[in-house]
This record gives sequence, C-alpha cells and structure tokens, in this order.
Amino acid sequence: MHELPRLTSGIQGLDAILGGGFVEGASYIVQGQPGAGKTILSNHIAFANVALGRKVLYVTLLAETHDRLFQVLGTLDFFDPSRLGDEIAYVSVFQTLRDQGLPAVVSLIRKEISRQGATLLVFDGLLNARDRADSALDVKTFVAEVQSQAAFAGCTVLFLTSTRLADDSPEHTMVDGVIELNNELAGVRSVRRLHVKKSRGSRALDGFHQFDIGSSGVTVYPRLEIALAHPSQPETLVTGTVPSGVDGLDRLLGGGIPAGSVSLVFGPSGCGKTTLGLNFLSASSEAEPGLHFGFYETPARLHGKARAIGLDLQPLLHSGALGFLWNPMTENLLDKLAHRLLDEVRGRGIKRLVIDGLGGFERAAIYQQRLVEFFAALSNELRSLGVTTIATWELRDLFGPTVSTPRSEVSSLLDNLLMLRHVEVSSRYKRTLSILKVRDSDFEPVIHELVIGNNGLAVSLPLEPVEGAATGLAKPLGA
Amino acid sequence: MALIVIAEDEFLIAEVLVMMLEDAGHDVAPAAHGLAALDLVREKRPDLVITDFMMPLMTGLELAKAIRSDDALAEIPVILVSGAQGSIGRSHPDMFNAVLDKPYQEKRLLETVTRLLQQQ
Repeated sequence: MHELPRLTSGIQGLDAILGGGFVEGASYIVQGQPGAGKTILSNHIAFANVALGRKVLYVTLLAETHDRLFQVLGTLDFFDPSRLGDEIAYVSVFQTLRDQGLPAVVSLIRKEISRQGATLLVFDGLLNARDRADSALDVKTFVAEVQSQAAFAGCTVLFLTSTRLADDSPEHTMVDGVIELNNELAGVRSVRRLHVKKSRGSRALDGFHQFDIGSSGVTVYPRLEIALAHPSQPETLVTGTVPSGVDGLDRLLGGGIPAGSVSLVFGPSGCGKTTLGLNFLSASSEAEPGLHFGFYETPARLHGKARAIGLDLQPLLHSGALGFLWNPMTENLLDKLAHRLLDEVRGRGIKRLVIDGLGGFERAAIYQQRLVEFFAALSNELRSLGVTTIATWELRDLFGPTVSTPRSEVSSLLDNLLMLRHVEVSSRYKRTLSILKVRDSDFEPVIHELVIGNNGLAVSLPLEPVEGAATGLAKPLGA
Repeated sequence: MALIVIAEDEFLIAEVLVMMLEDAGHDVAPAAHGLAALDLVREKRPDLVITDFMMPLMTGLELAKAIRSDDALAEIPVILVSGAQGSIGRSHPDMFNAVLDKPYQEKRLLETVTRLLQQQ
C-alpha cells in the first residue's frame, strides 16, 4: 500500500490518531470554541517542526497582538523565542484584508510561503476571513486558492477557526482533514477532547480522544480501546508460572500465578488486597521488574505498610527493580492513566504489575459504558507485553451475600479470580482466601485462612468447615 | 513637524502608533508590511522610519538594508521596534539608529524620535 509522506504533529499521541501525522502538502481545518486550545496546539505543532529544521509561517487575522501571544507561549516549554523571525515568522494580514480584500491576502500568502521556504502554514482566523467575505463562495475560493498554492509548494496548511463549521460547509468539503477541539463540562468538571472529523488519505482513530494542556504543551491520549483495538505486538506466549510471593499460595494455584496472566483480587476493605500485592512485588528482580500502580496509598505509606509486615522493599526500590507510581484519586483522565501505566511498563520492561485498584480507573471514566472495552484493551496489551498483573477490586460491603465484581463482562476478561474476605467464625474474624478461577490450571477449591507472618501475607490452614464463608457470614455446618 | 513612515503589520499597534505620533505633532504614513513601507519611503522621503521586524513580504531588517543601500535614502534614521528580534537589530548597528523592545513604551519612543530628528 502506498503511504503518503507525512509531517509529524510533534504532539504526543496525535500522530497515532491522525494515522501517522499530517499528510504533507495537505490542508486541515482546526476548529473549536475560544479557549478550546487551537492556538496552543498549532503553536506546539509549529515549534516541534521548527525543531526538526522546517520553516513555518504563522499568518494571523486576529485582533490580538503577536507580543501578547508570545507572552502566553512564553509560559510553555516548547516556545523558543530565538527561533522567531528566521525559522518561524508571525505575520498579520489584517490590514491587507481590510484594505485590499481576500485576493490580496492569497497573493501575499503565496509570496510569503515562497520567501520563507515554509513547509507548514498556520492561518489563524478563518472566522475573520468569513466575516470579510461577501459570500460563502469568496471563502471557498480563498481556502481553495491558499491550499492549492500551499500544496504546490509542498506546504501543509492548518486553518484555525473558532466557529463550528457545519459538516457540509464548503470549507469542510474542500480541505483534507478537520480536527475539532472542545472543552466540555461533564458534571462539575471539564474535559478537553479532540475529534478528527475528516481525514482524507489516512486511517484516523475515530471518536473522541482526551487531551490536556500543561507546561509542556498539548498531550493527547488516544482512546485506549481503539488505539489498542489489537495489541501493539503479538502476544509472547509465556508458559509456566511465576511465584506469587505469598507463602503457601503457589501450591493452591497449581504451582504459581500463570505467567503473563491478569488476576483479579477482590474483597472488602482491610482484607489484605494491597498486602497481597506488596508480597507479589517483593519477588521483583532486575530481570523481572515490578510496578505498583496505585490510587490510594502514597509511596511513603506503601513503603511503611510493607515494612510493618516484615517486607523490606528498600533494596528493590533503590536498585530500580521496583517502582511505585501513585495517582491521587482526584480528577483523573481515564486514557491518561492507561497511557501513563503502559508507558511505564514498556519503558522499564515491567513484568510484575499491581494495579491497586481497578476502581481508580472506574472513577476516572466519564462514560462508564466504555469500561469493558477499555479493560479488554488494557489487559490484552499487558498480556502481549508478557506482564503478570494483579489488579485489586474493592467490594462495597464488608459482609453480606452480595459479591459485586467489576461487571460480569470485565470478570470474564480476567484469567484468575481470587476472593479475600473477613469471615466471622465463633466470634472471631478470620481473613480468608478463595480461588475461583485459574487460567489453564487446576487449583485447590478450598477456602484457606490468611495470616500476617514474618514475611508479609501467608496462606495458613484450610478454614474450618462452615457454611456461608463466601458471604463473610459463616454459620456452623448444619445450623 | 516631521514626516514619519511606519512599517507595522499588526493593525492594532499601527493604529496606536499613528495616533501617538500624530498627537506629538508629526505626519504619519503607515504601511502594512516592509515592501509597502519601502515604496512609501521612496515616494515620500520621510524624516524618519519606524519599523517592526517580522512582517509579510519584507522584514524590518530587509527594509533597513534597502534604505541604506539607496544613496538617496541612506541617511534617513530607522528605528526598529521588536518583541523578540531586538538582539538581531542590535547586532546591525549600521542599519538601525535605535532599537526598542516591544511592548511599546510611549515616552521612550517619543524621546527617541525627538532625539533622532534633532540630530538630522
């Protein structure tokens, strides 16, 4: 298949969404309400390309002065004032438009592209051009002429506009791509989203993609279930088991945790889920690096918790064989979390992963319906990377007959299911562990007690025979 | 009263400059880019030129070079006012009689204009 030459956006995540970047010499409309992020996005793209040696022409029809714009851009890392003038030129054509009309602007842009040797043109203010035009035909002619002249010079064009142009507007029908940015309220919070509405010659990733703007500029987080509709690499079929790090557990699991599998450890608060995760991570090594990707405990508290149960994780943390990545349970973006996790896993070659817990992802999901597909993409990718994962899930009720796993569809995406509970037996609370499912392996279907020993969590004796232990409300047999 | 040509592509800045200089008693001829300014300079032989750096078709530096290379115009003082290219301007002392940084400071600009016109 013939691939079109590309111009990178230089924005993390955006090239993937565009199907490989912008098409060289093609023209795009970038539209969105004021404040949606068009100017920062386009300037980020401009400076990223300047850094690659391209020349950029930034033409404005705005009332805002360039100095004011530079003041704002000066707060962002990508802005490099030493490039201004020679490698990136900002010119205003407002007076030319006012005094001589659109045809004179077209002529001026053509001369400027050639004079600057620009291979990227940003035209900020298509709305103003529309206001100035006598008819829709004028703008259509303007867009057609600018893009054909730019294409002739091999120059990619971004037309920025703050109007929401109709999908069948002349401008939309003519350009090669349309990118819409919006910043919408979802309940009390706001979420920035990007949508490629049109993409000629590229297989763009459909639908909305979250993005944010920070001091490093714009970062786009491709929606996980479409970006990883198929895992990024074929699954490396790892066989065998890895030690769970919990004394006595490997025997119940039929030898250990299946390597490259995803396990769900669920139970109410305080039943030992995080502790089981810490035990699992204590078996990390430089050959099998571990990561705790958590939402609740800070790294300091996790470290203290491990020490309190006799696990010294300091050497592993010090050598880099183990890392803690804490995501405060505040306002999070679902896809940002997932990409942060996967970047860390890929970057450090993580093989032992604890996600503590899936509820952190669930809370970040503004559109809950997508969680099944999201977890499918995430778990498939982790398997393909050969990562053995333990994810925790907190049951709402400390005791009771209702055991809610994170939706039945999600549970079926998981390879292994382990349930932890507090069980009251003869006026004493006991921590218990039940294994409900292990991928491709026989396991011991007996409820066991869990104890905290010298080496963290350990499996103890089978629970004395009672009825209803799975609910936490045990009764003597035959009672 | 002096005649001053302004080369500035940003209309807001150009309009304020025109008002400021007219209030100070000067005649002002604005141009939206360097090339149009050069035409005005050739046509009107002003007493002074104030130019921006980044403009369509001809930069402020190119404009100054064109003025200096024309014997009939070479003695016209040129002030560069720029946000980011002030250092480029200062590295060409033979091209610019004064280099001021944006944002414009009215008092400083008018003092510089007066000084350069008095030197004429």
